[in-house]
Amino acid sequence: MDFFSAMDISSSALTAERTRMNLISSNLANANATRTAEGGPYKRKDSVFAAVPLPESFRSVLSRMEQAPRKVEVNQIVEDQNPPRLQYDPTHPDANPQGYVALPNVNVIEEMADMISASRAYEANVTAVQAAKNMALKTLELGR
Amino acid sequence: MPIDDLFGTTVQLLGKNLDLRARSHNQISANIANAETPGYTPSVLSFEKELRDAVGKRGKTIGTPALTHPGHIRLTGQAAGIDAVRGRVVEMPDATSGLDGNGVELENEMGRMMENQIMYNATLQFIGKKFEGLKAAMKGDR
Repeated sequence: MDFFSAMDISSSALTAERTRMNLISSNLANANATRTAEGGPYKRKDSVFAAVPLPESFRSVLSRMEQAPRKVEVNQIVEDQNPPRLQYDPTHPDANPQGYVALPNVNVIEEMADMISASRAYEANVTAVQAAKNMALKTLELGR
Repeated sequence: MPIDDLFGTTVQLLGKNLDLRARSHNQISANIANAETPGYTPSVLSFEKELRDAVGKRGKTIGTPALTHPGHIRLTGQAAGIDAVRGRVVEMPDATSGLDGNGVELENEMGRMMENQIMYNATLQFIGKKFEGLKAAMKGDR
C-alpha cells in the first residue's frame, strides 16, 4: 500500500502541465515578436509528453510481474515549423522589400484553448493528490 | 480460541480490500497524469471478482491436507486465498483513441477515482467498527 507513489505520479503530471502552461504563456507573450536571438520571428513552442515508469526497486519489480502505473514527463520541447504569418506593413522596420512583415506562427485562439485544457488537466491532478492525501490521513485515524 | 480467530476473515478481507483500493488509486492517478500523453492507453486494476472468489472458497477448506510429517509445508487450502489476491492490471480504453492515440477520458477517470475513494472510506469505516466492537467486548462495560 503506497500512497506516495500515487502522489509521485500526480506531481509528475503537475510539473508536466505547468511546463506546458509556461510554453503557452511564452507563445502568447511572443505572439508579435519579430526578432529573436536566432534571427527571424519567434516560433511557436509545444511540449511532447511521454509516459515513463516509476523508479522501482529490483525487489518490487520481481514481486510484481505486471504493468505498473506510469508517471508522465515532458519528453521534448519542439518548435512549430509552420511558416510565419505574413502581414503587409511597409512601415515596420522588419518588413521585407515587398513590404511584408513575418510575424510568429502563433495562433492566439489556439493557445487559449490549449491553456484551458492544460489548466483543467492540472486541476484533475490536484484532485487526485487530494484524494490520495485524504485516504492516507483517514487511514491514520483508524483505531482512534 | 486461537488468537487468529479473534480478528477472523473480516480484518483480513477488509485489509486486503484497502490494499487493493490503494493500488487501484495509483493506477487511476497514472491515467489522469497521462491524460494528455500521446499513445497512452489507460489501465485499471481489476480485483473484485478475484477477491469475491477467494472469499467464497474460504468456506470450503475441507480439502486441507493433513500434516503427517514434520517436514510438510502447511497447505491451508484456499484459506490463504484472500492474501494471495493481487488483482490484474487490464488495459481499458475509455474512448476510441483520437488522432494522438490517447484513450483517456478524464471524466470517466475522475468518476472512477471518486468511486474508489468512497469504497476505500467505506472499508475503512467497517474495519474501524470491527475494532470498536472488539474494544467494547474487552472493556465489558456499558
